[in-house]
Amino acid sequence: MDLSLSSDQIAVLDALDSLAKPYEAAPLHGTGFALTDPGLDRALAGGGFLDVGFDPDLGIATAGLVVERLARLPQASEAASSAIVRPLLGDGVGSPLCMVEEDKLLRPVRFLREGATVVVAGRSVTSFVATAGQVRAEPEALFGYPVATLLSLPEARTDHAVDAALLRTHWRIALAAESAGLLAAALASVCAHTTERQQFGRPLASFQGLRHRLAEAQVRTNGVYWLAMKAAATLDPADAALAALHAQETARAVVYDFHQFMGAMGMTLEHPLHLWTYRLKLLAGELGGRGGNALAAAETLWGSA
Amino acid sequence: MNFAWTAEEAAFRQRLKDFLAATLPDDWERFSQHGPASPALTEYARAFCGKLAEDGLLTPHWPVEIGGQGLDPWHQTILAEEMWVAGEPRGGQYMNVNWVGPTLIKYGSPAQQQRYLPAITGGTALWCQGFSEPGSGSDLASLRTRAERVGEDYHVNGQKIWTSYAGLADTCFLLCRTGEDRKKGISILLVPMDTPGITVRAIPSLIGEGDIHEVFFDDVRVPATALFGDEGQAWEIIAFSLVNERLGIPRYRLARAARDRAVAVLKAQGGWSGEAVRIEAAHAAALCEAARTASYAIVTKRAQGEAVGPESSSARFATVMAERRVAEFVVEYLPEALADAHPYLKMHHQRGIVAGIAAGAAEIQLNIIANDVLKLPREPR
Ligand SMILES: Cc1cc2nc3c(=O)[nH]c(=O)nc-3n(C[C@H](O)[C@H](O)[C@H](O)COP(=O)(O)OP(=O)(O)OC[C@H]3O[C@@H](n4cnc5c(N)ncnc54)[C@H](O)[C@@H]3O)c2cc1C
Repeated sequence: MDLSLSSDQIAVLDALDSLAKPYEAAPLHGTGFALTDPGLDRALAGGGFLDVGFDPDLGIATAGLVVERLARLPQASEAASSAIVRPLLGDGVGSPLCMVEEDKLLRPVRFLREGATVVVAGRSVTSFVATAGQVRAEPEALFGYPVATLLSLPEARTDHAVDAALLRTHWRIALAAESAGLLAAALASVCAHTTERQQFGRPLASFQGLRHRLAEAQVRTNGVYWLAMKAAATLDPADAALAALHAQETARAVVYDFHQFMGAMGMTLEHPLHLWTYRLKLLAGELGGRGGNALAAAETLWGSA
Repeated sequence: MNFAWTAEEAAFRQRLKDFLAATLPDDWERFSQHGPASPALTEYARAFCGKLAEDGLLTPHWPVEIGGQGLDPWHQTILAEEMWVAGEPRGGQYMNVNWVGPTLIKYGSPAQQQRYLPAITGGTALWCQGFSEPGSGSDLASLRTRAERVGEDYHVNGQKIWTSYAGLADTCFLLCRTGEDRKKGISILLVPMDTPGITVRAIPSLIGEGDIHEVFFDDVRVPATALFGDEGQAWEIIAFSLVNERLGIPRYRLARAARDRAVAVLKAQGGWSGEAVRIEAAHAAALCEAARTASYAIVTKRAQGEAVGPESSSARFATVMAERRVAEFVVEYLPEALADAHPYLKMHHQRGIVAGIAAGAAEIQLNIIANDVLKLPREPR
């Protein structure tokens, strides 16, 4: 057992930090619900960061680290599926990669647009490249991702020789790793604001009513990080389901607190908090939500009745 | 990141499991309900720890120079996990090997080492930790038990409370006030518990017999050679002592085992078909695993020789969350366990409530996280 980063992982994260710096510093005033940056997407693709999962020495464990780090950026980028799910499908599959469950077609789909690759998880795994007619953009959606509705599922889809359960395991890992980064960034953002803002002659963050809930959020966020990293390293279906469950449960427990502690500032689009929390809101329902992931974990750990 | 045990670590764990299987009596699960501080378990622990010592398993993580084998913090963690999940057959002696012994080696006089170490390494000593007082719990530095130097003696007057093992302990690691400064006015005395003037009263508790006591010191006279370290050095010494204890007991391990046991019972009884029960078990599982991995992140640092900082408080709080969720799961779905149907689950339940209080209360951990992990501005005092 040794949970330290390998030297290769440290090198990848260092390089990613340099890449991320200018985006971190981007002006965030009045961004709208979702913020994207095509330059970031190009830089990530160009730097090969989303392909580390294909390298057997780095693997999904390193992809998990990359996804967690990128999720801390205020800009939403389609990194999680590309870095963590795509290695199962092969590098012939294009991006962005949009994940949908066959029995839940009406949901808003992250990054869906004409030309995106849609992966359909049913009993088997299939994919297709979306056409304009299959997609309705949802620019007014209350989510921190660009989303669209998938209007129809074409009959003709590419079959992938990958087990649907394995695909869901990777999807869960992607969800958990991304959530870990979102939670960490949201927490840091709230800590910064409550440290700066004074009421009653003291910084807000010196009031224990806030401090303890922020500290508990740290404990939960740390747990999501480690469960996600463990699942990424083991690729074990139970680990993945527990990680996804803990991610969604943590989002449930902290998101309203985070906005609450910002006061009215947390209701504005001038402060960037929503760029993280309103991404967590979309992830909350994926893969059956907490109940679905809990049942999946229970099934893998203990079998059915 | 490597989340798998090395072959050597796995073999060490297996060795411990084999030792436990060969050594613990057949009725151990029922027997261990007496609680780690009960007279029955204390007596059993003397024999058990003697055997552990013979097999080189009592202090394997101590440095070689002091009679250990210099095994790394992972082995210490594995040892602690296997003992705790078995119901802690070392009883109160776990404290000896975790911190009393190493602290004696570092700060004790040669005479103190000669006097106290053989019984620790032989597996027969029982210590108690005289820290908390009626007016001084979380705010330990406010303690008032006073030791006054009179000629070649110290005269001790005051009261300790919540003292585990005090009823049967041979020696007390006693914090007392020798000066006015909040922290630098505190000293340590090693006090034989049969010294005249000491009165121990057991306090009936939810967690089993013999676990908590009041200890009264009524003009207790001990020779100045009982002073441990220098006068006023207590705060520095306990900081050293408790470095190894910061993570606390690996409660996540017993919580996980209890959860798995409960699920097995439920499955056998046909109580596993509903979704609600399975969802609740999974929540408990996630919290156990979160606590375990957060703890292992700290052990990783220790194994690399890095100082362990405030993040250990985060792992501690995660453990409290896991412990509670498992206990709640059992209460809701297998209440008969708390009667007498499942001794192992009862044992877990009885001990679990302590997680958020002993060795630093949960809210104190949250204060530490807020101050030193999140670096929030401090509360005004
Ligand atoms: C089973 C058991 C065994 C023990 N064994 C020993 C032993 O062997 N030797 C020994 O010396 N002691 C022992 N203790 C005592 C233990 O160390 C104390 O219980 C602990 O330090 C908390 O102190 P307290 O009980 O006085 O609680 P308090 O300090 O009165 O705390 C009560 C509550 O208030 C909260 N609180 C306190 N201060 C703050 C703050 N600043 N901000 C927010 N919340 C706060 C606490 O977190 C807690 O929730 C034992 C306790 C137990 C339960």
